[in-house]
Amino acid sequence: MKINNYSKSRDAYLRACKVIPSGIYGHQGPAEGCYTPVEAWPLFSQRAKGSYFWDLDGNRMIDYMCGYGPNILGYGDPDVDAAAAAQREFEDCVTIPSTKMIDFAELLVDTVASADWAFFAKNGGDVTTLAIMTARARTRRKKVVFFKGSYHGVDAWAQKKDYSGILEEDVMHNLYVEWNNVGALEQVFDRYKGEIAAVISQPYMHGNFADNELPAEGFWQKVRKLCTDNETLLIIDDVRTGFRLDLRGSDHFFGFEADLICFCKALANGYNVSALCGKEFLKGTVSGITYTGSYWLSAVPFAAGIACIEKMKRLDLPKLLAEKGRKVGEGLRAAGEKYGFDLHVSGMPSLFYLRLADDPSLMLHQEWIAECVKRGVFFTTHHNHFLNYALSDEDIAQTIAVADEAFAVLRERHPK
Amino acid sequence: MKNERALAYINLFAILGSLPYLCELDRESAKLIENADVSVGFTVKDGPSATLCFEKGQCGMESGAATCQVKLPFSSCRKFNGLIDGTVTPIPTKGFTKVGFLTKTFTKLTDRLTAFLRPAPSALDDPEFFRISTTLMFHVITEAAAQLANEDPIGQCSAASIVDGTAKLSIKDGPCSGLCCHDHRLHAVHSTPEQFLSYMEFDDMRVARDLFDGNINAIAAVGLGQVRIGGMISQIDNINRILDRVAVYLA
Repeated sequence: MKINNYSKSRDAYLRACKVIPSGIYGHQGPAEGCYTPVEAWPLFSQRAKGSYFWDLDGNRMIDYMCGYGPNILGYGDPDVDAAAAAQREFEDCVTIPSTKMIDFAELLVDTVASADWAFFAKNGGDVTTLAIMTARARTRRKKVVFFKGSYHGVDAWAQKKDYSGILEEDVMHNLYVEWNNVGALEQVFDRYKGEIAAVISQPYMHGNFADNELPAEGFWQKVRKLCTDNETLLIIDDVRTGFRLDLRGSDHFFGFEADLICFCKALANGYNVSALCGKEFLKGTVSGITYTGSYWLSAVPFAAGIACIEKMKRLDLPKLLAEKGRKVGEGLRAAGEKYGFDLHVSGMPSLFYLRLADDPSLMLHQEWIAECVKRGVFFTTHHNHFLNYALSDEDIAQTIAVADEAFAVLRERHPK
Repeated sequence: MKNERALAYINLFAILGSLPYLCELDRESAKLIENADVSVGFTVKDGPSATLCFEKGQCGMESGAATCQVKLPFSSCRKFNGLIDGTVTPIPTKGFTKVGFLTKTFTKLTDRLTAFLRPAPSALDDPEFFRISTTLMFHVITEAAAQLANEDPIGQCSAASIVDGTAKLSIKDGPCSGLCCHDHRLHAVHSTPEQFLSYMEFDDMRVARDLFDGNINAIAAVGLGQVRIGGMISQIDNINRILDRVAVYLA
């Protein structure tokens, strides 16, 4: 198979480093993206369509990160793009909003089981922050419970006191418990009786560098009851998982109801919008919070979001993505077995996480992933992956062929 | 921002603790101690204690000060830190016959250490001085990271997220060390670890120096391939946060 060359990407990166902090900052950059070794990965893309993007050097990548989630129907989905283009003919970012905002909110309320209203912003962090503010405003309490290993964005409250630029005061009301440990959560509620504003959590544990962990039987129901009994709000951060498990919300998928639920990523197939949805009793509280942004009421992303949700409903998309995810996971696992490697596939199939269990240091895993990327399959070494509707059976077959060759290379380098 | 107790641990184990490496690397320092036969103990109330042993032209550090010949007690971490920044003169309680070593040889040795750890910019133009200075900085920083992980409240927060195992830190074709984590406490080993869970390697001495001096950022250096990271990168990620704290303490 062809091995990718990234010389144009590297040149562009050198340009970027002169004028942009760390060249590419954040999770889409080589450091936080854990590109190991960095030479195996493309750094800049130039176009994208369906389940692929093409990097600056013209290499086509089958993309299993989907922009870290937003691409759920396929890059440049014709229905979503047509809706966005039609709206753009009328207006986008204007002094007063379009009624597309109402249409979108109505659609979310009809779609998401725990939603009685919707508030729109741009990024996931915008709405997780609003959820925390809502909980504090409603309960007049300060403390928030997190599950260890979770991620809720990069606003100061969501970081830790050892992170650069964060004050101890920013996070002094954060409490942390182990995932799936109801006993630990009960202890925290006992210790801080009447002080906990919210429990915030992702629907299941999809932390980095470790197998993803689904909720234990009855876990969410017990958490829900603890929150209700203690008049604490339950916030579900569905930014990463939203619409890939269940169009009615991941809380619905796991059989409980959140008080507040946060969406972004897959909400509009890459158009820039996020949403906080919640129960009726919180609508007044949110109304009273000072919270706004320059682009939050732009109409084009609302039109795109409407088209995206309607298409996902027509397709019954979570079911399709789960099927694709199972095919990918089973194929990769079998390819590993062929060469005597123990590939673990964890989490939900539509957001599968990969780990070669033969080496606890993950170095072997990183080597294998790098060999896949060099052959045109964009995986990451540390993070869950994302599936999109455009991923075809041919793409899956090509992915497995690449994985097979990468395993063969690995076995040659590391004989049994 | 700095915790006096954590600073005392750094000053004793990372700064004074680098004297053995100085004596190994620097001929002039080695010559200073070639005839020395003395052990100097430092005890800090509510803080660290250790002994520097000079014998047969070599220098080593041992934890505790029970068997030292010259004993320097300090009533607080602040007082001990004053010794290092030159504002406190220590008074030995034991080993008065060896005080001459303290006032003459030891002072010259620490002056030599300061010259390497806080070099005049022009001194770094000499390749050998640059190599010794950067190697010493590497050992100081590695040790300081371990001390901060254990003693600094913010460092402890980072250490709480470090999984058990050893992180290998190295400069290509230069020094290597390991930060061994067990139950969220770190221990520095100043040699190449046999096994490691993660690694961070600086491409050369210049990259290491620029990182130590704050002239380049580790995140940017990873993208450029000047710093290689791999394995259980969450370890390296959290160690990097501690290294940021080291910069605060050593500034």
